[in-house]
Amino acid sequence: MTWQAVARKEFDDAVRSRWLHGATAFFVLFVGGAALLAFGFLLPQDLKDASNLFGFFVDLGIFSLSFPGLLALVLGFIALSTSYGSITQERETGSIKLALSLPNSRTDLVAGKLLGRGAVVVVALLTGFLAAFVVLVGTGTAVSYGSFVPMVALTALLALAFVSIGLGISAVADSNREATLATLGLFLIFGILWKPIAEGIPKLLNYVAEEAGVGALENVTRVQIGLFLKYLNPLRTYETLTAQLYYGPARARLVSSTVGEQLVIAPVFEQGIPPYFSGAAMMTILLAWIAVPTLVGYYVFEKQDL
Amino acid sequence: MAAIELDSVTKRFEEGGRLSRFVDSVRDVDPDDVTAVDDVSLTVEEGEVFGFLGPNGAGKSTTINMLLDFVRPTDGTIEVLGLDAHDDSVGVRARTGVLPEGFDVYDRLTGREHVEFAADSKGLEEAGDRVEAVLDRVGLSDAADRKAGGYSKGMRQRLALAMALVGDPDLLILDEPSSGLDPAGAKEMRDIVTEEAARGTTVFFSSHVLEQVEAVCDRVGIMREGRLVAVDSIESLREKSDADSTLHVRVAGDVDAVNADAVTALGGVHSVTTEAAEDALTVSCSGDAKTAVIAELESQGVEVVNFETREASLEDLFLSYTGHDGTDRTDGGSAPSGGGEPSESDDEREVRA
Repeated sequence: MTWQAVARKEFDDAVRSRWLHGATAFFVLFVGGAALLAFGFLLPQDLKDASNLFGFFVDLGIFSLSFPGLLALVLGFIALSTSYGSITQERETGSIKLALSLPNSRTDLVAGKLLGRGAVVVVALLTGFLAAFVVLVGTGTAVSYGSFVPMVALTALLALAFVSIGLGISAVADSNREATLATLGLFLIFGILWKPIAEGIPKLLNYVAEEAGVGALENVTRVQIGLFLKYLNPLRTYETLTAQLYYGPARARLVSSTVGEQLVIAPVFEQGIPPYFSGAAMMTILLAWIAVPTLVGYYVFEKQDL
Repeated sequence: MAAIELDSVTKRFEEGGRLSRFVDSVRDVDPDDVTAVDDVSLTVEEGEVFGFLGPNGAGKSTTINMLLDFVRPTDGTIEVLGLDAHDDSVGVRARTGVLPEGFDVYDRLTGREHVEFAADSKGLEEAGDRVEAVLDRVGLSDAADRKAGGYSKGMRQRLALAMALVGDPDLLILDEPSSGLDPAGAKEMRDIVTEEAARGTTVFFSSHVLEQVEAVCDRVGIMREGRLVAVDSIESLREKSDADSTLHVRVAGDVDAVNADAVTALGGVHSVTTEAAEDALTVSCSGDAKTAVIAELESQGVEVVNFETREASLEDLFLSYTGHDGTDRTDGGSAPSGGGEPSESDDEREVRA
């Protein structure tokens, strides 16, 4: 197994790209800058607590905004950009022939890329969090490490998930152009289209059930299906897992959900969170987003002629 | 044990496949299945220097790509160093140094980092000295700390060779190793091949630069349109080809005094003609019969004033095997003795053909 050699090479290579320097600067400005803005200028002394930024969720039913949600969106874009060309570009230039002329298996290549490029994004991200931490300490802000540290870890996992998604696309795509389009399309789906699709599917199921004469689905079931589908989106999985660190699972599961959903589901959750909405289930989804795209990509790539 | 063994290997690129579309566009044919390699069987022994010849598009690179598991054969089996080329590809590549065709370097990594990556991948420990040694050997020491993105084509080629050489492989597979190298660089490449061969390394390299192959190879194989049309030593191939060596001998005194029949009777001599006006003999013979001819003349008491030979150039031979029999070569193709050098225009003709 020589994936370490590949990972090291990937890291050395990617860490010098201007794109990554830009991404690092961006994270420093975004995470560190947000902390500076919030705790250096905006918030009064008695609100100086890290959770007021990192656990910032505004939920007005129709309009919702959260700092973790925004961070996830940006991080997803940067992580995808770092990995979507990792195999197609090497195939197009021919550098993959150098890597595979050496005793590296295709497994080593894919695993090394996931870890190497993943490490690059995580390092950029951690630099941002470090800047924020410096600001927190510098402004005398209270930090609850019990939620801050796990949140950083969750964010790193999300970064790996999107690196894996990009890598999977890169392994399957026929050309770099195809990989670019697929990545943009997928980002659009995660960012915008996932929600209406997730809401549409239970309606469709309901319609089918009615047509089939089984009878309409219960309202609670419909909302649960829709909500669960929404949490299959890694951006939402991350958001709700982060919210759980600050507000506990019952409230966290309703973060960024619509008024309709909240009215129907809140009573159910108050009696206990169903297993498929538990923190463990959400964590499983997030980890699956790290493993599955790379595995699928590898499975296709392994069979292909270069 | 054979270093490389191909048994009835066929590679068809299927319609709609990535590569077939590429090959189709290059070859300008219908996008049906393209048979890049057609039922090729070949054995290369350990310690041999084997030249793999053929015009562009003949299937050389596809064959090499199959040895390395870049491409999988449609039919047939391939063993390299006694290991299955697909199932045990990593094992093959652990003992093989490869200079691939159509590769590119990692722009942001330095030359040294490339070789370190190679040493790392090959599992060499404490490889610092060996990395320096191969960089020095290919003449890249001075440029080792520059980013490879700024390297010239020839430097990239040297860099890939350094990556191939680190760790002293048992087998070297070089695909068009001198492309992009200037004549001095090509000479250094040949020297390295010779050194490696002297160390006992098996060398398998492809080329359409015939001069190279002639200079260093024990045996050659010639590919044409996916088929292996000849495998033999260069001398033996030359004998088999229509083209012969011609020995032109000027003698002192009367050329008619020469017993031409005795000369003709020598092994390897095909024909003898005398030119009385010039006091000269023209002997058509195989390359290794020349000394015997001179010795025979001297034993007949004939004084040889001077002689010159014109060998059938390897290019003539090559073209006769690859179906370019020289009929379109109005420049006469009369290369002087030694191998012919393919000119630029010949290369272009090959590509268009």
